[in-house]
Amino acid sequence: MRLIKKKRAVWGFGIFPVFVFLISYPYLVNPEESYLISFLFLTFLYVTLAQGWNLVAGYTGQASLGQHAFFGLGAYITAITWRAGWTGYLDPLAMALSGGGAALLAIMIGMPLLAKLRGDYFALGTLGLGEILRVIFTQGGTLTGGPVGLMLPSSAYQSLRPYYYLALLILLLSLVTTALLVRSRFGLAFIAIREEEQAAAANGIPVLFFKILAFALGSFFAGLCGSLYAYHLFHIHPSGVFNLNFALLPVLMTILGGIGTLWGPLIGAVVLNTLFELANIWLPEIHPIISGVFIILVMMFLPQGLVNLKAQAGFFHGLPKGFLLERVFFFKTDKERR
Amino acid sequence: MMSGLIFWQVLINGILFGSMYGIAAIGLSLIFGSMQIIFIAQGAFMILSAYLCYWLFTLTSIDPFLSLIPLLPLFFGFGWILYRGIFHHVARAGKNPSLLVAFGLMILLENLMSVIWTPNPRAIKTSYTAWGLSLGSIQISFTRLMVFITSLAATGLVYLFIKKTLWGKAVLAASEDMEAAALVGISPRRVSSITFAIGIALAGIAGVATATTYPFDPYFGFIFSLKALIAIAFGGIGNVVGALLGGIILGVIESIGAYSIGGGWADAISYAAFLLVIMFRPEGLFGRSYRMA
Repeated sequence: MRLIKKKRAVWGFGIFPVFVFLISYPYLVNPEESYLISFLFLTFLYVTLAQGWNLVAGYTGQASLGQHAFFGLGAYITAITWRAGWTGYLDPLAMALSGGGAALLAIMIGMPLLAKLRGDYFALGTLGLGEILRVIFTQGGTLTGGPVGLMLPSSAYQSLRPYYYLALLILLLSLVTTALLVRSRFGLAFIAIREEEQAAAANGIPVLFFKILAFALGSFFAGLCGSLYAYHLFHIHPSGVFNLNFALLPVLMTILGGIGTLWGPLIGAVVLNTLFELANIWLPEIHPIISGVFIILVMMFLPQGLVNLKAQAGFFHGLPKGFLLERVFFFKTDKERR
Repeated sequence: MMSGLIFWQVLINGILFGSMYGIAAIGLSLIFGSMQIIFIAQGAFMILSAYLCYWLFTLTSIDPFLSLIPLLPLFFGFGWILYRGIFHHVARAGKNPSLLVAFGLMILLENLMSVIWTPNPRAIKTSYTAWGLSLGSIQISFTRLMVFITSLAATGLVYLFIKKTLWGKAVLAASEDMEAAALVGISPRRVSSITFAIGIALAGIAGVATATTYPFDPYFGFIFSLKALIAIAFGGIGNVVGALLGGIILGVIESIGAYSIGGGWADAISYAAFLLVIMFRPEGLFGRSYRMA
């Protein structure tokens, strides 16, 4: 009973007002001048990318490092179909094609990779995939514009509002999909595969099917993000959209927030993106250094992610003075301290 | 295709170049053995060593190859302190946090270097940079040959350390099964610190090798981490000589690919070869079947 009340309170005082604010915000300010709007747009994309990765790595236990492959592919599908005249500006068809194309590639790649490779090898394989795609699109001739990339007709641009809402919509879609999936029998299967693959297989779970399903869904969302990103930039080029940041940052955000949880990727992406932006504004020279230090510190002291902050808080209590000093400089482990 | 003479030239260039990947790969492989993570900051440490070597050369005019004498212990020390100070504590929480710490370390180092040395590429020009040996009509650059010899020596030393010394045997045992090793009295913490320190020291050697032969910039290292990774996949994880051979094979594949298909495709070719290898022979081209993580 108390749990239900607490849950209602979280929704009533936390999530719902934030949601109302996010929906109405573009009409409260002039979106063309508001810095926050474009910041939120990018954050939404990162949350979706992170959630897509979380579905594969957090729930199914297959850490992929190829999110940028699907992101870039989505961006290029949107650009190429628009230039060919098959789709238009902010066209749902183009976005569906981009997401679908990315999912299709994930299925094609997933069948051999996921059937054969486990753990680190799967991560390495997907990393290779992204790099191969980058080279293919760089060498693609007139269809892909080579290293210069493709220009999209920027005269189509009217306002930042539709981007903002579309990104928010994609974010909600990824969140709801993940929530529904992990609470269904599918989610049980995912987690069973993550925890003990052989036992899951022995219990009749079609392991490969579920792995590919999760991988394809995560890639679908990455493709959607790529599509929206292409519409936003109007100029895409291989080293931009196949940038490894789009593979590594979602990983970072998910683990920082709390891997294998519904809200972890969201929290991680918001916190990290805010940190990057703030550091970029106040300390433009050294902001990546601060980010690096921040990542190391969080992982040293909150290895389970920010979502589990409360559970890990006990770690800081009852520590003797000079604990950090001893730990870092005199190399004492917990065992030796006792 | 190419004529016989050019083929030999391309092959030799590939072998000499690949030996650089090879040393980085041995370090990465050792670190994988102790922590079970892909240490992506390896390349950043390499470039750090390249910059320090650059400093020693330009400020005190110490010969780049002689700068290995101060740099090796320095990087060994770096590795030791890093493992004891950070990784040992993080590793208990699992693999993901260690991986992220490595990632944070990479960002930290890259940007620190770009603040200190600016993002512009640097290169070391010694009196012998332009020297070359001629074997008939095949040209061999002297610095690349030195890099090749250095990497052979480094591989040999690590191999002897692992096969002949008690410490080395402990390292080998721990990389195969940490729990069983701990049961027979091997201290995981000590073994891991040593392994990690040697891995970073090898990054230091690879950095000096880069500095003497190619221009470099602060963000150059990540590509090297990736290439070292591919080299390990070729050679098989936990196989010292295999990692060197894997690096050399990668160098040869890249230089032949770049020559016969076009420079831009070299990366895709090496990644494609990598995908094929990990799909069909995940234990590496020369590995005995090795227990996989």
